[in-house]
Amino acid sequence: MQLFGQILVNGILLGGLYGLMGLGMGLVWGVLKIVNLAHGALIMLGGYALYYLYTKAGIDPFLGLPLAMVAMFVLGYVLQTALLNLIVRSAQLNTLLLTFGLDVVFVYMAQLLFSADFRTINPPYAGKNVTISGVVVPYAQFGAFLVALVLAGLLFLVLDKTRTGRAIRATAQNLIAARLYGVNPKRIYAITFGTGAALAGAAGGLYGIVSQITPYIGVTLTAKSFVIAILGGLDKPLGVIGGGLVLGIAEAMAALYLDPTYTDIISFGLLVLVLVARPAQLLGRA
Amino acid sequence: MTPALLEIASLSAGYGEVPVLSGVAMVIRPGEIVTMVGSNGAGKTTLLRAISRVIGARGTLRFDGRDLTALTPEQVFGLGLVQVPEGRQLFDRMTVEDNLRMGTYRRRDDARIQQSFERVYQLFPVLAERRQQIAGSLSGGEQQMCAIARGLMAAPKLLTVDEMSLGLAPVVVDQLLGVLGEIRKQGITVLLVEQDVFAAFSVADRGYVMETGRIVREGAVAELEKDPEVRKAYLGVQ
Repeated sequence: MQLFGQILVNGILLGGLYGLMGLGMGLVWGVLKIVNLAHGALIMLGGYALYYLYTKAGIDPFLGLPLAMVAMFVLGYVLQTALLNLIVRSAQLNTLLLTFGLDVVFVYMAQLLFSADFRTINPPYAGKNVTISGVVVPYAQFGAFLVALVLAGLLFLVLDKTRTGRAIRATAQNLIAARLYGVNPKRIYAITFGTGAALAGAAGGLYGIVSQITPYIGVTLTAKSFVIAILGGLDKPLGVIGGGLVLGIAEAMAALYLDPTYTDIISFGLLVLVLVARPAQLLGRA
Repeated sequence: MTPALLEIASLSAGYGEVPVLSGVAMVIRPGEIVTMVGSNGAGKTTLLRAISRVIGARGTLRFDGRDLTALTPEQVFGLGLVQVPEGRQLFDRMTVEDNLRMGTYRRRDDARIQQSFERVYQLFPVLAERRQQIAGSLSGGEQQMCAIARGLMAAPKLLTVDEMSLGLAPVVVDQLLGVLGEIRKQGITVLLVEQDVFAAFSVADRGYVMETGRIVREGAVAELEKDPEVRKAYLGVQ
């Protein structure tokens, strides 16, 4: 029973991070109607950004996170303005091709610049933990989980309460009316993609703290983000975190009761299930 | 004579290579309610889209002394030329209040925005009751009220309303026509595009009749109502 509790906690902590990965994916998907195949690559780049902020500049990873997010926001904003605005809201195949191309470019750039070695962001408190009634809670994992929750809450508030957030929702819901009411969609797209990239970057940084980064982590993470975004509902930040929790717990349980190699089978099995069970949502939103 | 608020001359517009409008000329003066009537497919909605710069157009298009032809829809909106589009086009999954707030997207005068809310809720008390309701769950008439209210929240100089009566019960149409009269008293000029000619003529000062992309009749509503051709084609009387 104690083992079950431990695995549940592990799953929840991992699930929060997964939710953060799904958040950026779902936001971009819901507003720009782009299934961003480079989302995992953005996560990876965010991981390296935080890694170098820590190892070269000596900034604590949790303090460096906002910096990495700003850098990723700028990258996303520029990408959208210079490239993706050319094909936004065009045929789905165009958006898939372009983001797939970006993914390839980012992965090989990372391989050239950062090498293929495994990297871990390893602050002094990385190995420390607290034991609550027999269940071990590592500080770093718990911190990552909290950051994911806070970012999801912030995103919800920004979308719900601010002028720009309303414009983002308006653009997603009715592009014609948004234009008639003074919204410049290309600017909103750039802000949205920048925000998606910043969230991906935050997820990547946290991933580097709790796990390891290589240039190749993105592919599976893109697929997982896809599943999570659909499980949670694209424009519901808090729902997406829920989707992440489902996946995190399912993976942790599979590793315990089946075999650790089953974790990816679980997430990709969910992917297949989602594709079979929720095609209406896919078609309606994509 | 007061200078025109909206001035259109030899305007042509269409979709891609397909021309819809040709040689359209029209003038709207401040404080007027002008209606554009014509049957389905005559090009009325296309004209409004051209005015709002959602589609391209050639010819003269001036609003409040500014040339519109080089502007984007956002800029036209910013000048105070606001469209209430056909089919309402509300932000369906937002609350009524958020829809109204979207009307204020280009405004910075927070104190006045509060006044606009009060005025709009006075015109449409039902919207005040439903301000936290999701717009997509309103009845058709309430949705049209919400769409007009959203337009008013932009503090427009000219409000263009496309097919306001479409799909609504006569009693609701009458109520909305009354609101247009109220709006004019507040100094807002109105261009009402309608298929329901009876309804349009009941509130407008002047009218234009459009057929297959051209203006075929224009004049004061009192004169148009007496015109035998208009009576026969649009009012169903011989």
